[in-house]
Amino acid sequence: MKMSDKPANVTKKAKKTQKDGSLYILFGLTFVSAAVFAVVFGESMYSARNLRSMAYQMPEFGLLALGMMLAFLIGGIDLSIVAIANTSGIMAALVLTGAWMLGLSGSALIAAAVAAGLTTAVIFGLFNGFLITKLSASPIIATLGTMTFYSGIGMALTGGKGITGLPSGFTSFGTAEILGVPVIFICFVSVAALLSLLLSRTALGRRMYLYGENPLAARFSAIDIESIGFWIYGVIGLLAGMSGHIIISRVNSAKVGYGDAYQLQALLVCVIGGIHPQGGRGKALGVVCAVVLMQMLSSAFTIWQFSPYAKKLIWGSMLIVMLGLEYLSEKRNVRRELRQKVVH
Amino acid sequence: MRDLMGDLTGRIRHRRVNATEGILAGIILLYCVMVAAVNPAFLSVETLFDIVRSSSTAVIVGMGLLLVMLSGGIDVSFMSIALFGSYVAAYAMIRLKIDSLAFAFAVSIGLGTILGLVNALLVNWLNLPPFIVTLGTQNLFHGVMTTFISDKTFGAGVIPSALSKFGSATLFTLKTRQGVMGLTAAVIPMSIAVLLTWFIVSHTLVGRGVVAMGNSPESARRAGFNLLKLRLFAYGYIGALSAVMGVVYISQVNAVYPNKLVGSELMIIAGAVIGGVKDTGGRGKVLGVILGITIIYLLNSTLIFLGLSSSWNNFFVGTLLVASVGVTSWQNRRKNRKNLLFTE
Repeated sequence: MKMSDKPANVTKKAKKTQKDGSLYILFGLTFVSAAVFAVVFGESMYSARNLRSMAYQMPEFGLLALGMMLAFLIGGIDLSIVAIANTSGIMAALVLTGAWMLGLSGSALIAAAVAAGLTTAVIFGLFNGFLITKLSASPIIATLGTMTFYSGIGMALTGGKGITGLPSGFTSFGTAEILGVPVIFICFVSVAALLSLLLSRTALGRRMYLYGENPLAARFSAIDIESIGFWIYGVIGLLAGMSGHIIISRVNSAKVGYGDAYQLQALLVCVIGGIHPQGGRGKALGVVCAVVLMQMLSSAFTIWQFSPYAKKLIWGSMLIVMLGLEYLSEKRNVRRELRQKVVH
Repeated sequence: MRDLMGDLTGRIRHRRVNATEGILAGIILLYCVMVAAVNPAFLSVETLFDIVRSSSTAVIVGMGLLLVMLSGGIDVSFMSIALFGSYVAAYAMIRLKIDSLAFAFAVSIGLGTILGLVNALLVNWLNLPPFIVTLGTQNLFHGVMTTFISDKTFGAGVIPSALSKFGSATLFTLKTRQGVMGLTAAVIPMSIAVLLTWFIVSHTLVGRGVVAMGNSPESARRAGFNLLKLRLFAYGYIGALSAVMGVVYISQVNAVYPNKLVGSELMIIAGAVIGGVKDTGGRGKVLGVILGITIIYLLNSTLIFLGLSSSWNNFFVGTLLVASVGVTSWQNRRKNRKNLLFTE
């Protein structure tokens, strides 16, 4: 009994140090870049105005990144999040501008619009889940297809034109503040906290990690991975839909193609945040930390007036470098684990 | 033993021709009849030559994608490679005042192959999903080109005449009511790519090795294949073909833009997937890819005949893609469940 206990114990310990280790590195990296930016930019980076504008920009791609994190954790990927965000935003905008007459006005109209947008997003997400878990389509190809499909719906509805003239009652949500903190930022932080609790404190969270680590083993351990996956993709859709509403309320219009760059950034944030692309490993806190880091870098690039091409170069090389570091740290961990097993 | 295997694969191949490719050919035929019924102007040599011209580039690079997907990988950086190779070739020709088509192809193919090999090394070394790795290199290659080489646009005036002549060259011409129509010379590189790929996949050891690796990397390794070499071959091959495609593309457009091509990977991948290529590896055929790409370009160029604007493109391509992914993966799942396989 004791013999069989030991390796499990050791693996647990090794894994714990590895997880926390990468999280500490991430914290360190964030603080170091924060300090460097403080020296380089001084006031222009940490002025109340810039901090507030960063807090306004973070939620839209932060929510998308959290969605991508959920997909990564269960060993999948969701390439359709930006398409879902856009099309659900378009649905909401169509209701808001009265293109679809419902005979409502004021707050009832806004409620109906948000309901329509979020329902669309959840249905889109669940459809992804259906394709991936119930039909066993591979996540990359399935969501690549639905990405085209969803943005095609948005495109067919709008003809590629922007929908403008949203009522001020709705757009004021995007600029509202409580004690100087943007409401949308509070939304993002609370969603992140909820997801973090879900992942670390609930049975569902534990099952999700097991699912991501080894779907086959999870299935034969009586974990209903198909239902979990199905609903998780629904939640991803909901997060993308929330992001879509934030985008249209901030930009004050809805259009296919908004936020296309977020696709790569969401993936990048997950990889930087220590979410393993093959599933089963990572924490919501890491993603939040990576979102902050990315936002600081974005602001720095804006101050430096980098061209979009230079940004592409930096995001691309960062992705490759982070994957390389992940690989190296994993290799080291496996070695350490093996050594500990031999010693004990 | 070898005869038996050949016989067996031959029989399986024969049956699969009737399945996917037959259905696709049926859909194409049915769709053509439908379009012709609505708008008889569709039935002309002009339309045919137009579709051949616009899809020739896609077929060339689709052949490379077939090999990569057969190996169980995926590449989303090929358009970046195509742009890199052709842009640098054209840039060098303009700068050095060289006016030779052979030079353009040589430089472009050389660069494309090198970038493809970089992809292969990264995929092999990092041992992470090729999608994420090549998404990183897609941005990296494009960023390197635009930042360190040039991001200028070269219009029709400065383009070397060898390129523009090749772009407008025709194999033969036909006199129709609309005027003189010619079949584009791009058919030559396209046919070479198709025949070469068909030969590699079905008649060479390295081609069979790629298929074997796609089916089961571990078995292929134990059978004596060097997986690194197979990956180098597959990703190098798509790199070379993308580079060919890039030169054909800039010749046809008769201009060099630093921001075209990249971002249109999806249509080629969609064509391959609709054509029955499995992203999990080991399944897929030359004819399927050709038919899949034909369907997409047929849709893109004939929606106008049906009185629909081009904003419906994505909607129809997406519907087709989702339907084909859904049906094939469901069939596969049913087959697996029958054999008590729960691996997906």
